[in-house]
Amino acid sequence: MLKSRMGRSVAVLAVVGMAALGLAGCSSSSSSTGSGSATSGTVNWWGWTPELATAKSYIAAFNKVYPKIKVNYKQVTIADWEAALRPALASSSGPDVFDIQPGAYVTEFKSFAQDLTPVIKKSLGSNWQSKVSPIGTSGLTSDGKLTALSVGSTYAGTLWLNKGLFDKYNLTPPKTLAQWASDCKTFKANGVGCFVQGASQEGFNQDTLQSIADSVEPGLWTKMSTGAAKWTDPGMVKTLTIWKELFTDNIMQPGAIGYAQYPDANNDFLTGKYAMVMMGTWYMQYATTSGMTAGISAAGVAGAKPFPIIPIAFPDVAGAGHAGYHMYGDSDYGLAVASKSKNEAASDTFVSWLTTSKAGQQVVGNVLDDIPALNGISPDFNTISMPDKSVQQAPVQALIKTVGTVSEAREALLSSGVQTAILAASTSVASGQATPAAAAATLQAAAVASGESFK
Amino acid sequence: MAITGASTGVTPDRTRALRSTASGGGKKRRRLSQPPGLPWILPALILSVGLLYYCIGYTGVISTWNWDGVSPNPQSVGLNNYIQVFQDPVFWDAIEHTVIFFVVTFVIQTFLGLLFATLLHSKIRLAVVYKVIIFVPVVLAPAIMAPVFRQLFAPDGQFNWVLAHVGLGFLQQPWIGQTSTSLAVVMSITIWEFTGVTFILYFAAMGQIDQSVLEAARIDGASNWRTLTSIIWPGVRGTTVALGVLSAIGALKTFDVPWLVTSQGGPVYSTEFLGTYIYRITIPLDRVGYGAAISIILLVVAVIMAIIIQRRGREREGSVD
Repeated sequence: MLKSRMGRSVAVLAVVGMAALGLAGCSSSSSSTGSGSATSGTVNWWGWTPELATAKSYIAAFNKVYPKIKVNYKQVTIADWEAALRPALASSSGPDVFDIQPGAYVTEFKSFAQDLTPVIKKSLGSNWQSKVSPIGTSGLTSDGKLTALSVGSTYAGTLWLNKGLFDKYNLTPPKTLAQWASDCKTFKANGVGCFVQGASQEGFNQDTLQSIADSVEPGLWTKMSTGAAKWTDPGMVKTLTIWKELFTDNIMQPGAIGYAQYPDANNDFLTGKYAMVMMGTWYMQYATTSGMTAGISAAGVAGAKPFPIIPIAFPDVAGAGHAGYHMYGDSDYGLAVASKSKNEAASDTFVSWLTTSKAGQQVVGNVLDDIPALNGISPDFNTISMPDKSVQQAPVQALIKTVGTVSEAREALLSSGVQTAILAASTSVASGQATPAAAAATLQAAAVASGESFK
Repeated sequence: MAITGASTGVTPDRTRALRSTASGGGKKRRRLSQPPGLPWILPALILSVGLLYYCIGYTGVISTWNWDGVSPNPQSVGLNNYIQVFQDPVFWDAIEHTVIFFVVTFVIQTFLGLLFATLLHSKIRLAVVYKVIIFVPVVLAPAIMAPVFRQLFAPDGQFNWVLAHVGLGFLQQPWIGQTSTSLAVVMSITIWEFTGVTFILYFAAMGQIDQSVLEAARIDGASNWRTLTSIIWPGVRGTTVALGVLSAIGALKTFDVPWLVTSQGGPVYSTEFLGTYIYRITIPLDRVGYGAAISIILLVVAVIMAIIIQRRGREREGSVD
């Protein structure tokens, strides 16, 4: 036992020492004003997209031009995005470059991002706006600040089919709700899954509902998103009614509202368990041999054998005469440079190269994940390999051509509050807990509560 | 006394002070000199009081704001968040699920834990193997087991496969993907996870029961069931009360299983708990002030539950004596 006086002094010193350590840990480190070199350094990039293999290919192509800038890509799933990014960006050890997508994320993360207008001006000149896709710019701009440079855009409004399974059972791609239901009966009779959706995730329910709404009344969804129409519009009630029919007609797989689109539904489709899935243009990457091989092995299947998949327009489920492609989309994601980045100049170089240089955008285009943001870039199909080009290349090229003129927004107009309400409405109708009319009313009330103003 | 003083290092002054404390006359002197343990518990005290209670206090302050967690000018709204919480149907769903969850898991875990402890106190072979098997789920991380259970309870998963192969094929259904069975799935996973804890605690507590009482009961001709209900069950009361408090607080805190297995509190909020609701409100929906208000309510409920269970446990003990 220590003599009491010495013991006390030691204790006091220990306490003071610990308090000092604690305070040192708590104090924010002074933000570095140095922006680093533009041609060398290390850049840490966090994103939920692209896939790891795709990111590596972007970085490898970048390093051919800028060998001294090391880019480290970390994939954080979109489900964990907010939880991981907000503390990271608020600290001084967060990423230098991070993804931003139009809509709720722009609002949430704009204060952490630098205005990239000078960067794009430097690369493309003062008339840069005419050289890139306008929805890429508008969706990522907030309060006059260009929070991120769009890598490319992505659109939804399609279904993707396992061509092999359709051919095997002599079925043609469904164009109406009735045909869809009968195709599903045939598949089920043969022990094959028909259509798979992860209806527990908001984003994909939103896409399916928007597609149904476009079939009921094109343009209605945008009106409801901007307050020009209410979510209780009869068209929306019809949309929710048809959504419910997808479940009662046994098109949706059992237990869909407990399923996740990623990884569950995606894995099921890529491993050939189901013949159809609701995905958008980002799924074009799985039409390529390399993309599909990577996807199947990521689904945990060894010895992946890629098979041909083709896109079709979302069936005309309302039968109101609006058949054909009704696509909607935004910038898939843009790259933002963190305000606290210590490697600002190198980050600007990387972001600028990938989003505004011909070489960078051509690499993006060839992966077939995004439609390039830079005008005039189209995928070079001579260098792209597909499991069966004879049936795949034509529909994919037609799809790319169609989206060139799309102006209907996908994510940009919806706040996180409205999106939560859309998920609640879709799952409560699907489970039978609410009628379409009641769910629409709840959705309208939630939209008002989250700040949407209606005419 | 001098020898004692030298060997323990206690100074003669201190010894005298301690002795006079025992006689009650040295209280004044003892208060003037510092309580002997304070410098040693000071670091831990600073951490717990400083960090913990400061954070609780700060959460209380945030709960009176309308704030998204990053903007520099939070807007003060007084008790508005609390009023909104009490009018929120999802909040009351979460409370209802918590109560059902607590009652069902506590009763079944207690029953199973007691059963296994009783069985393993009897003379059976390979008792150690059984103990390990029962306890292993406790040490497995829920985040690791979540994908396994998602697969097990999937519509084409192993549970449905087993049902089909034992002639119960008509019971096959999407266990996770429907509101009627999702809470049952969450509860059964939790029971699987934590029965090991109740078992171990009851096993130890039963070892403390006086063997002579049990022998006397045997001699008097008490059946196994009578022994269990009249001697063993009252004898492990303290453990039961402690487990009750732990279960109650565990039910309030439950997050991993409903978040990871049943798609973040779904479907349609059917497995929403306070933890999942607070997380979802605070992180993806940026309503930090509202989330803080729910957190404070959760804290108050937890403290009240702990006090009630402790009091009931003590009351019963008093009446038995």
